[in-house]
Amino acid sequence: MPVLFFLEFLAEGSPLQRAAMLCRDVKRVVYFFLDGSLGETTRQDLKSHLSLCPDCERRMRVQQALRNFLMARFARLSAAAPPRLKTRLTRSIRAFRTEWSR
Amino acid sequence: MKSAVANEHEQGWDFEKAAMPYVDSLYNTAYRMTRNSEDAEDLVQETYLKAYKYYDKFEEGTNFKAWLFKIMKNTFINNYRKKKLTPHKIDFSEIEESYERVIQKNAPDLIKDPETDIFQDMMDEDVKRALDSLPHDYKMVVLLADIEGFSYKEIAEILDCPVGTVMSRLYRGRKMLERTLLEYARKYGYIRGGAEPAKMRSRKDETKGRKKKEASEGEETEAAEPEENEEEALFTAAEDEDFEFEVPEEEEEERFDIG
Repeated sequence: MPVLFFLEFLAEGSPLQRAAMLCRDVKRVVYFFLDGSLGETTRQDLKSHLSLCPDCERRMRVQQALRNFLMARFARLSAAAPPRLKTRLTRSIRAFRTEWSR
Repeated sequence: MKSAVANEHEQGWDFEKAAMPYVDSLYNTAYRMTRNSEDAEDLVQETYLKAYKYYDKFEEGTNFKAWLFKIMKNTFINNYRKKKLTPHKIDFSEIEESYERVIQKNAPDLIKDPETDIFQDMMDEDVKRALDSLPHDYKMVVLLADIEGFSYKEIAEILDCPVGTVMSRLYRGRKMLERTLLEYARKYGYIRGGAEPAKMRSRKDETKGRKKKEASEGEETEAAEPEENEEEALFTAAEDEDFEFEVPEEEEEERFDIG
């Protein structure tokens, strides 16, 4: 339905004609939008689409919720290197250096 | 040409000073790649020694952290290539389809309260398991982007691939990850209906998979659990670049005006 609605809108010669971003396109750029990686033009096109298409707007909120959840969990997942590894690295680098400078 | 090491005794100290702050990041990624602390430590150590050895090849002014990650990725691939792992075939359209079903069906629940996790009770273990179940190439971009915070361009540099490939892998990787989590959520009853287990088996495993399915027929569908194929899962999609974007990957950036 949203696609039809959108096509209808385009047929009226709206300024959105330039954008012509379809629901299918929205799905494909959702992550890049949430990453803040979309260029200004595409971002504006997307926003215009979202303001007119409740389905896509809802999808965007779902994806945003998932993203927030995952980023929070990821931050907790990060494991610090064991102290012994740091010691090990420093030692092996220094041993290597001594060997090479001989 | 004099090596960095022979060249300047001092340089070793510079290297330590420059490289040591990234130990945690490298270890964390190494741990997710190898899935055990011993291998992760070895991988990080090998990475540091290589980086030290080739420190004079590092271009001043470029991203040192990304350079370290690139060395680690190459080391990892070289070590694992020896095991000659078989790539998996992934039916991504199936993943996408069931993902859509769950999203559509559960949208109201999912956006009810985004601030206090929809999956509040979901264990960190589940997130880890979902992340670990990703095919290697997809897991890498997700780790580098979402945990290490590298830009698409930096990831492309680390992985030696076009930015378009990074984007398509990120898209697929996140989608698979979310889908697996939604599947867990469904299993635990946080959300209704939806996802089937992800198809992440190699052709070789298909027969085995079928038998398993027959055996468990009538039972509740299991969550994606490619754990038994852990090693093979590492290189699942090595050659799988046929992402169904209609535009060639290189043009992706241009088409969507990525800033």
